[in-house]
Amino acid sequence: MNIHTKVLGDGVTVLKLVGKLNMVSAPHLRDVISSAIVAGNSRVAIDLSGVDFMDSSGLGALINGLKTARQAGGDLRIASPTEQVQLVLELTNIDRVLKAYDDAEGAFNA
Amino acid sequence: MPKVRLMPEFAAFIRTLESPPDNVDLVHELLSTVWEKAPDASKRDRISFETALVELASNVIKHADAGDGVTYTITIKIHHDAIEAEVVDSGKQAHVELNDPSFPDDLAESGRGIPLIMALVDHISYDRNENLNTWNIKRKFRA
Repeated sequence: MNIHTKVLGDGVTVLKLVGKLNMVSAPHLRDVISSAIVAGNSRVAIDLSGVDFMDSSGLGALINGLKTARQAGGDLRIASPTEQVQLVLELTNIDRVLKAYDDAEGAFNA
Repeated sequence: MPKVRLMPEFAAFIRTLESPPDNVDLVHELLSTVWEKAPDASKRDRISFETALVELASNVIKHADAGDGVTYTITIKIHHDAIEAEVVDSGKQAHVELNDPSFPDDLAESGRGIPLIMALVDHISYDRNENLNTWNIKRKFRA
């Protein structure tokens, strides 16, 4: 999986993920989110439009990021999930915790 | 005596993996071959079964490894109305609760794999016999 980072200012970072978010790539995502928060960007928006597959390991990395961001006074928001990602969010009930926004760059303006 | 007509599965795929270095990306690769032979599987069937099988393989990689890696064989069978996978490994015995489909707390970072599989397939079973773990999952094709 590739992760493209875009810093928007005002403490907001957008991470665009491309590929599969599974037990192979989840540790990498965890590290990238932590680095963004340590750098002072604790409002993290995750663009999931390029993620064609996510499993419970990937979900664990998102929840870890959510908790880390909130501990730093920020938040983690997700945007544009694909059909498979939306299915996993719904079946695990995490759609109650991580509401999906239409657009990652606007997730903190919504 | 009525004549019995057997309906054999029309395709089966078998692959043995060793983790490390093999990982779940190879399970996705295997499935991309499988889907070419399963024209009756809808997109929802494909994403549901793929998620379930990758979760199962992840579970074996994480929990069956006693310290020196784990070898496991995945057999996928396509039936006329369903798709089935068997995963056999010689690793540690699994301690799972297949009667309880509940998920952990919302902010838990792990523990969702097995209940997620249960939500995605119609059948899941686990057997421990002769030092082998055998998992089986099956999903019927939806219209």
